[in-house]
Amino acid sequence: MWAGAENQGNFLGRISIRRNQVASMEPDTHVEDLDQFHKLISDKFSPLLTDYPHHHDHDGDATPSAAGDAFLSAAWVRKLLDAFVSCEAEFRAVLLNGRDLTQIVKPPLDRWIPDLFDRVVKALDVCNAVTHGVEAIRFMLHQAQIVASALEQRPFTEGQIRRARRALAAVLSSIVVDERDGGGKTTERSWSFGRRGGGASSKERHHAPNFRSLSWSVAKNWSAAKQIQAISSNLYTPRGGECSLAQSVYIMGMVLVFVMWAMVACIPCQDRAGLGTHVPVPKNLGWAQSINVLQEKIGEEWKKKEKKGSSGLMDEVVKVEKLAQSLTELTDNFHYPMEEDKEAEMAAKAAKLAEVCRRMEDGLGPLQRQVREVFNRLVKGRADVLEVFDHAIKHCNPSV
Amino acid sequence: MKNSPPPGESHNVKDPSSVTLSEKSVLLNKSSSFSAVHAERPRPRAPRRALSSVDESCSRGTIDEDKEDGEPECHRQPTLDEVSHEIDGFIDALSSMEDKSNAPEIPKSLGTFANMIQSEIDKYESGDSPLKFGQDLGQDTLVINAVNRTSKLIDLLENFPSDNKINPSLTLMILILQRAMSIMEEDLRVLLEDSMKPPSSDSNKTPKSNEPESTEPDDQKPKEDKEEHKEIYPGISLETANNMKMIASTMISAGYEAECCMAYVALRRSTFKKAIKQQGLHNISMDEVQKMQWEPLEGHISAWIKVVKHVSQVLLPGERRLCEFLFSSSSIADNMIANLARSVAILFTNFAEAVAMTKRSAERLFKVLDVYEALNDLTSAIEGSMGSHETANELRSEISSVRSRLGEAAVCIFCDLENSIKNDVARTPVPNGAVHPLTRYTMNYLRYTCDFKQTLEEVFSLHRMTEQRLERLEPRRDDSSNNSSNESESSASKQTPFALELMTIMNLLDANLEQKSKLYKDLYILQKIKESTEIHGLVENDYRRRKSSELRGYHKSYQRETWGRALQCLNQEGLQVNGKVHKPILKDRFKSFNQIFDEIQRTQSSWVVSDEQLQSELQVSISAVMIPAYRSFLGRFGQYFTPGRQYEKYVKYQPEDIESAIEGLFDGSNQNFSMARRR
Repeated sequence: MWAGAENQGNFLGRISIRRNQVASMEPDTHVEDLDQFHKLISDKFSPLLTDYPHHHDHDGDATPSAAGDAFLSAAWVRKLLDAFVSCEAEFRAVLLNGRDLTQIVKPPLDRWIPDLFDRVVKALDVCNAVTHGVEAIRFMLHQAQIVASALEQRPFTEGQIRRARRALAAVLSSIVVDERDGGGKTTERSWSFGRRGGGASSKERHHAPNFRSLSWSVAKNWSAAKQIQAISSNLYTPRGGECSLAQSVYIMGMVLVFVMWAMVACIPCQDRAGLGTHVPVPKNLGWAQSINVLQEKIGEEWKKKEKKGSSGLMDEVVKVEKLAQSLTELTDNFHYPMEEDKEAEMAAKAAKLAEVCRRMEDGLGPLQRQVREVFNRLVKGRADVLEVFDHAIKHCNPSV
Repeated sequence: MKNSPPPGESHNVKDPSSVTLSEKSVLLNKSSSFSAVHAERPRPRAPRRALSSVDESCSRGTIDEDKEDGEPECHRQPTLDEVSHEIDGFIDALSSMEDKSNAPEIPKSLGTFANMIQSEIDKYESGDSPLKFGQDLGQDTLVINAVNRTSKLIDLLENFPSDNKINPSLTLMILILQRAMSIMEEDLRVLLEDSMKPPSSDSNKTPKSNEPESTEPDDQKPKEDKEEHKEIYPGISLETANNMKMIASTMISAGYEAECCMAYVALRRSTFKKAIKQQGLHNISMDEVQKMQWEPLEGHISAWIKVVKHVSQVLLPGERRLCEFLFSSSSIADNMIANLARSVAILFTNFAEAVAMTKRSAERLFKVLDVYEALNDLTSAIEGSMGSHETANELRSEISSVRSRLGEAAVCIFCDLENSIKNDVARTPVPNGAVHPLTRYTMNYLRYTCDFKQTLEEVFSLHRMTEQRLERLEPRRDDSSNNSSNESESSASKQTPFALELMTIMNLLDANLEQKSKLYKDLYILQKIKESTEIHGLVENDYRRRKSSELRGYHKSYQRETWGRALQCLNQEGLQVNGKVHKPILKDRFKSFNQIFDEIQRTQSSWVVSDEQLQSELQVSISAVMIPAYRSFLGRFGQYFTPGRQYEKYVKYQPEDIESAIEGLFDGSNQNFSMARRR
């Protein structure tokens, strides 16, 4: 849908160049634009802090906001992407509708804009990895749904428990991968069937596909953490005297890095080792304040979870994992008939799991589509800016 | 190995003999083998529970039977058929009960039934080589029927309030169902995984394993053999598919749809992934594509195209067949295929997107267009396999947006070509009147572009629509002004966008060559004639007519420029001084004629006019002028030379030589000349 609508804007860039030839230089408009850009960023990113309660539920006892959405939930990630999309649109407007496009072929923009193109391409790879991560979460969700439905009926019986246990093992193994394993260890048969050989492995061990075995589009040695680092390379704060367009390009690069980083932190991605250190968000800049705080909070969460071979910070995933762990414990100790309080506990966890699953199910589809939309917008935006940029280069250096 | 069951066994099931029964009871009593398997499980505690409940029911079952002294057959165990019949009666009774508040009496046959199924299921789990689903159809049917009864019982019993009367039975039934389901799920995986093995190495496997068939008389086999060649999906025979279907439908009807679908999706994804890898497509990030040299990238693009075609033409339609075959519910089938198609399509479009982003240069056009066309295939495969599923719309829009960007890339490449022709300013002529590289390049290029005529028409008309929308806002594109002037604009309305683009480029080329031809004089024009005739098929008639009249002009000027000087030598005027033929002038004339003719031969003997008509027209018209002139000149003045050495020195050519030399012109071989010279 977006694709069709977007196609129309194709040659708008040329128009602005036209206009720019006629109009005299008005550097002030850029300053205005920049102020507006700053304001937009604050407006879009601060609700991400205020509207979503931080989840301090280390026992999985979340008290989510009225809407049911916690900090780092799927809904939160979508809000983050919304914020990004707005910023990107604003940036395009600032850059393409600018009065003085001769600037973009002069230093530092003549380098910064190609650098931005480069960052965008790298971000596209991040989007793809994240799309794939969402797919992995979906697998986890389906397994969790099996657990929830197996434990719907009380009293619990051996058969149900076994069914749940199989699925629980799959829930816990579906995402957790050895992130430091660069893929070398992975064998094609990532789940093997041992039951007929020696009889040692039972049917109870569920040979569920895991994250890596399902991987499609991500190259073997690709590392999300390194990619984030690469996106942020050469991203320098402009000096005071630098033109306001340069400021905008810088800000866009910053926002891009931050959003990609946050997304990678939330959603499972291949090789995230060292992700905690890779975001150079500038301190002491008014417009970046909310981003600063967000980064700190996410960074803290990351540090906490990183050691555990994390499957990401996404609230729902964290909850599912916690519930799955305690349910695994409960089911492992199961005997029939269950003591009443144990049974009640298990039932409560199962109900909670069912609830998280419902929210996940509602959230994942839109999230996946939105990640794709970000992808498409980045592609489109890059194409538009590139067109103007190339044109400006030809225009300003006819010899080329 | 995955043959149909030995006929004997399936026989047993339908008509259980005492032998089978005793076998069964042996198995029942041999609980040691059963518990041995369980004891080795990683989590011993819970399974022990399970075992105890099974044991409990086992013993209870036996005790029940023994206790029941009213029954005359206390020493004969009932057959599974008999028990099943009783269970069916119980199921009927349960389903007709309207009052669900009081738990029903559980018949003792339920215990027997449970024991019997358990021991049947054991065959799939224990021993050195446990059965797999699909190996023994009779046994499979037996278990599946029992499983269906079990899940019906569970559904019915769950409607009653839980109490101590029914709980043990319900628990046992659920456990049995779970056991059967785990086995089936795993066997479904195995079947799916086996079908993943590369078809190339395994293609002989099926026939080989069937070899003993011919010696084994079995009325079922020949038919099966025929059908085995009909594969539902590459690597999945009808037989395997039937086994999968059997498992899938049992699992789904027993409420294990989620497990079944998960296993299916996971393994089908792996299959696709593997197939894609086998076809030579490797995962490369979009970033890597941008940084790659053209040559390796070209290789990746070719691999990509191959894979996209394979997936579009073989794998996706095959997947549709397989899904439809396995899942009787169309919504399940649709979801399965949508899931897979989405992943594949996104994988493919990402790469295409990356290609559309790469540096644009003329040599890349054809690959870009190949990619564009391959995406057509993908779109129709998606339409074909998914129809109106919501994912299909999403994917269509994904693909069309990539295609529009590839189209823009193609248009840009043409723009660049226009610019490079415009900016190509050569200052020195190409030696020996060879075809100018720009001409050769451009014309070859345009000729190749015509292989993509349809695609380019599409690309350019889309582009034009975009342009026209914007033209309302802005006057025409900056640079394409002067050259595509009057004529092309007058005919613009009639012409397709791509033809228009071709014309623009050719006009540019014309203009450029006109410029350059000043460097080459006559030589260049001939080349130009040649090239113009080659492309005339691509453009409209009036353009062609215009060009051919121009061509005639070039023809004339070629004749004038090339042969005029030779003809001048043959002019009879000026030879006579005071009414007498002046021999030194005559010698001079012959000498320079020979020289000019040699020169023409040397430079033009390799020239080609590939248009046959034009070639013979040129030959005829040159001969028509040259031969009579030479013949009469020679006839009149040849006699002035002393026969012998002098004559031979000045008259190098006989009119026939000239004729055959002209006949040999423009056909691409200069042999005629050398032959003429030998004479």
